[in-house]
Amino acid sequence: MRASRESESGSSDTEERSKGGVNAEVVNKEVINKEAVNRDSPRPNVVLVSLLLATLVAWSGLDAVSVAPNRIVPGQGHAAWDVAGWPGFLLSLVPMLAVLALAWRPDRRRLRWALGLAVAMLAALPAWLALASARLVDADLPQARMGVGAGVWVALFLLLLALIELRTRLALPRTLGWSLLLVPLASLAAWLTFGLAPLALRQEFLTRRDGFIAAIVEHLLLVGAAVGVSLVLGVLLALAMRRWARCRTLGFAVLNFLQTIPSLALFGLLLAPLAWLGAHVEWLAALGVSGIGAAPALLALVGYSLLPMVRNTFVALDEVDPGVIDAARGMGMSRGQVFRQVRLPLAAPVILEGIRITTVQAIGLTAVAALIGAGGLGTFIFQGLGQAAMDMVLLGALPILVMALIADALLGALTDLTRQGEAT
Amino acid sequence: MIELIGVSKRFGDTTAVDDISLRVERGELCVLVGTSGCGKSTTLRMINRLIEHSDGEIHIDGQQIRDFREETLRRRMGYAIQSTGLFPHWTVARNIGLVPRLLKWPPARIRKRVEELMAMLGLSMEEFAGKYPRQLSGGQAQRVGVARALAADPDILLMDEPFGALDPITRETLQHELRELQSRLQKTIVFVTHDMDEALRLADRLVVMDGGRIRQQGHPLELLREPADAFVESLLGGEDRGLKEAALLTVGERMMPLSPRLLPRERISRHATLREALSMMLWRHAERLAVVDDEDMPVGELSLRQLVGAKHHE
Repeated sequence: MRASRESESGSSDTEERSKGGVNAEVVNKEVINKEAVNRDSPRPNVVLVSLLLATLVAWSGLDAVSVAPNRIVPGQGHAAWDVAGWPGFLLSLVPMLAVLALAWRPDRRRLRWALGLAVAMLAALPAWLALASARLVDADLPQARMGVGAGVWVALFLLLLALIELRTRLALPRTLGWSLLLVPLASLAAWLTFGLAPLALRQEFLTRRDGFIAAIVEHLLLVGAAVGVSLVLGVLLALAMRRWARCRTLGFAVLNFLQTIPSLALFGLLLAPLAWLGAHVEWLAALGVSGIGAAPALLALVGYSLLPMVRNTFVALDEVDPGVIDAARGMGMSRGQVFRQVRLPLAAPVILEGIRITTVQAIGLTAVAALIGAGGLGTFIFQGLGQAAMDMVLLGALPILVMALIADALLGALTDLTRQGEAT
Repeated sequence: MIELIGVSKRFGDTTAVDDISLRVERGELCVLVGTSGCGKSTTLRMINRLIEHSDGEIHIDGQQIRDFREETLRRRMGYAIQSTGLFPHWTVARNIGLVPRLLKWPPARIRKRVEELMAMLGLSMEEFAGKYPRQLSGGQAQRVGVARALAADPDILLMDEPFGALDPITRETLQHELRELQSRLQKTIVFVTHDMDEALRLADRLVVMDGGRIRQQGHPLELLREPADAFVESLLGGEDRGLKEAALLTVGERMMPLSPRLLPRERISRHATLREALSMMLWRHAERLAVVDDEDMPVGELSLRQLVGAKHHE
């Protein structure tokens, strides 16, 4: 009965507040009318305006594509007006200018239009490349290839940033934001299938199709193994650290030290002892342990992954509200019940955050592991660097980027899911 | 019934609780009061073995608490604390059903019990059952905390400054409700607070602690009228003692039968406290009040002389 009274007073409170809000709006309008200042639309969105200006500059000033008669010869750059002629070039500027104009006086409706335009521009980029390949690449030269130029890369990057900004401004849910990217991706897939044959990246991929897929699998296996092992070890370590203070200081000291060794140096340091082990211990050799290859790479990856994993797990478990734990014990929950039903679920979001950081970090570090023969997408990067074939470097680097983004998004969504109960 | 016999607690070299003996009868609300660090919380937490006592014996209904498994002992006692300790990842209904679930009650019985408790504490089922603690106001959260403590219908309730974090108005409402609840349920309650007004308002037995020892215990009026030493006296409010005492007595205890004189215009309920009566006299500049019953019918009168003096009247 008391609570209902309280909630009644609460609701009348909010009523009053909303009335107050209305009053405030009325007052605002009056002030505006009095001052006769036209302020019905807010100030320009500085982020979007500068992003779009930069896109315009990059689009007009940097090479759109580069074309080479074969793989060895360096390509020749072509500006955007070479691709579509002056009328076509000017036409291509229209949507950018439109977004610029919309961002100058942003409101919800205009930002929605801007979002649509940004997605459309992203989806049109592959078509633009197809147009370039049709007009600039000599069809009589089967070896001829076309590289994506700095102008298009920068435009792609800036437009993606603009998309993120728009998603935030419009407060779109995470899933909707990601699904917006499906339109440009579908367009890319379609153009790759039906046109764009001379695209250098595509050619690099076709000549290494089997190797590419194997490399992705290797990369994922290495990352998966490293994250899996460090998760198990990390949780055990964090639990041990919670129990014994000495373990805590020692553990963090060692892990912090490990983190400071440059990755290449760590791979190098592991070379000698593991080679010795592989040569002298038979069963380890049978497992594939040697100075180079997957074993040292995995060891080093686990070494690097442990710190973020242990730190997050430790902090997560340690920072659960002591009042909640006190109540749980006082209510008669056993230690196991307190841990499983209270401490662990409350720590889960922060632990997942640790897994996310570790995974993204491991995806990047695994690229370096290619240097000691661990395989993975890094192989393409280092081969490409060796042969000065930038497209091959991209063939390795782009999937790593995409993998990192996907891992980040998926684990981020999972974290949100575990937080749901606590959110208001 | 809870009985502490010569109980002490030492942490290393420091003695937090020093040889205290205390007996809380069935249905009694015992308030431990004192400044922070006086050992009152430690005493409370020794009863449900969140802290193990070093010396002495603690009995629950005649049985040593060390004869029980810790968990079994705690599930027999309700426990409510200042921060409420509600599980943020559980709904209100699930929080309240915690102990019954630990005791493996069948789900239907748990659901029924949760409904019953929410009704008892004035929390509407539709509105609150599915909410998470973060969505509640301080008062609502504390009600849920009390409901959770009462869930398995324990005989004993341990409350560690449960209303400490609330605003004064909500706190007073909840104190009033607790008193009302207690008059119906007759639990054995140990209640820890550092707020003397709260202690006086709630206690059947008031225990003043200082430096790990019990300075004085007894009915609040006893302590007010005959404080054992200067410390108890100052803790009880020193010069405000008269008003504090007046707040514990009701108009009904001091009123006189209706006299043939003209009935005063100012009216006061017979259940009001003497403090409220005095306040009304000061406010209305009246020396006499008409005392009325629940139907607003005059049943007597109270004069300033009767209110303040009235030694002969006891």
